[in-house]
Amino acid sequence: MIELQSVSKTYRLKGIRKQVFDDFTFTFPPNKNVAVLGPNGAGKSTLMRLISGAEAPDRGRIIRCAKLSWPLGFSGGFNGSMTGIENIRFVSRIYGADSDQVIDFVADFAELGKSLHLPIKTYSTGMRARLAFGISLAIDFDYYLVDEVIGVGDASFRRKSQNALREKLPHSRLIMVSHSMGHVRELCDCGLLLGPNGIWFFDDVEMLIHAYTSLPG
Amino acid sequence: MQFAIISPDTRALAGLQTRVVAALILRETRATFGTSHIGYLWAIITPVASIALLAAVFSVAGRHPPFGSSLSLFFATGIIVLQLVTRLGNSLMTAIEANRALLSYPPIKRIDVLLARSILIVLTFLLIAAIIYGALIALGLADLPARPEHLLAAYAAASLLGIGIGMINALLLTLWDSWRRIEAIITKPLFFISGVFYVPDYMPPQFIEWLRWNPVLHAIEWTRQGYYANYDSMVLDKAYLLSIATILIFIGLAGERLSRRSDRS
Repeated sequence: MIELQSVSKTYRLKGIRKQVFDDFTFTFPPNKNVAVLGPNGAGKSTLMRLISGAEAPDRGRIIRCAKLSWPLGFSGGFNGSMTGIENIRFVSRIYGADSDQVIDFVADFAELGKSLHLPIKTYSTGMRARLAFGISLAIDFDYYLVDEVIGVGDASFRRKSQNALREKLPHSRLIMVSHSMGHVRELCDCGLLLGPNGIWFFDDVEMLIHAYTSLPG
Repeated sequence: MQFAIISPDTRALAGLQTRVVAALILRETRATFGTSHIGYLWAIITPVASIALLAAVFSVAGRHPPFGSSLSLFFATGIIVLQLVTRLGNSLMTAIEANRALLSYPPIKRIDVLLARSILIVLTFLLIAAIIYGALIALGLADLPARPEHLLAAYAAASLLGIGIGMINALLLTLWDSWRRIEAIITKPLFFISGVFYVPDYMPPQFIEWLRWNPVLHAIEWTRQGYYANYDSMVLDKAYLLSIATILIFIGLAGERLSRRSDRS
């Protein structure tokens, strides 16, 4: 269960104040995949960071009784001078997963071959993303957080990663920021709209998409 | 088992934190010392070189050891403690900045990063101290420590002081980026005012009045009282050292708690 209780979040940077959330209360419906839609700058990524715990709210509480992933495909936490294997071990240790199982899965899934034994700084962007994606899928999460990135790499790997994510769906839930209505329609059951007139919850995906596409501007 | 960050189950939380800190220590070890063994070697070489240089200068100048019969042992008792404190102070300052990307993994909190680095540095210097004292004893340049338990207590107090200073530095650095330069300037004179190469009690009284404010000096005095059988420091005030260390850690933790909300990475 993920529950936000009167959450407020304001950013202050160089004297400019921007209130992203003001007294926002919401309980994510259990067993539903939730889309998060809204124009750029509406606070979608902030919401993801608040949910994941990467950032704390100014006021209010966020209650999570579930195992949450970091944003899918996120590779910023890797250490460039450590090898792929070492980075996998590190992430596995944090989440209490069996390193060897995770390594086996990622080696098979990410198709990085011998590069896994090389430092990450020698990887291309696509290779890093494959590694990150592989690790997220190797560890079983209750919720996968998706911030626009649903597949990585070239066309065939993108298909493979999307399929792997779909295979997770019977057991895991998605909270997904997306600008692709196709993905929202296919993967989500309901959604939040972060619009200029506040935050709205839609029980029905078609109504959500309709409301989103008819936003002014 | 719950993997949530906020969970009613304290045992699960303790397990999570232990796991995260352990993983961070392994990662830090790898990042600090690199793949080669040269990295480990350098950790030993730095204090050994400082001790050897100081001993060489004093012998060339024909000076007697300020206390006891061994120049190297006297300087070792000072330099190991001084470098432990300054390394903690400096390394914790940059710990959060160096690991900022890691904070995107929800289970990792800033305090874990600080804790992992502290543990690694304290253990590393414990090993360095054991090697240096061991070598001096083997070479006949030092006796066995007279009161090992005091030596260890002094080491623990110095570690706490260093961690406290490091946490304050980390806090100040998040508020003000120029702090790193100021920290470098402030820590420079510590070598001269901490009693590394003299016995504070033998200084003129008006100096002692000033020197006794420096907590690092008390950590070094405590160390020498533990090592030498008859080093009776008049200056040493253990309560002062421990209070300063505790207050600094407390302010550091409180500051971390307060600045957490305004953090913008």
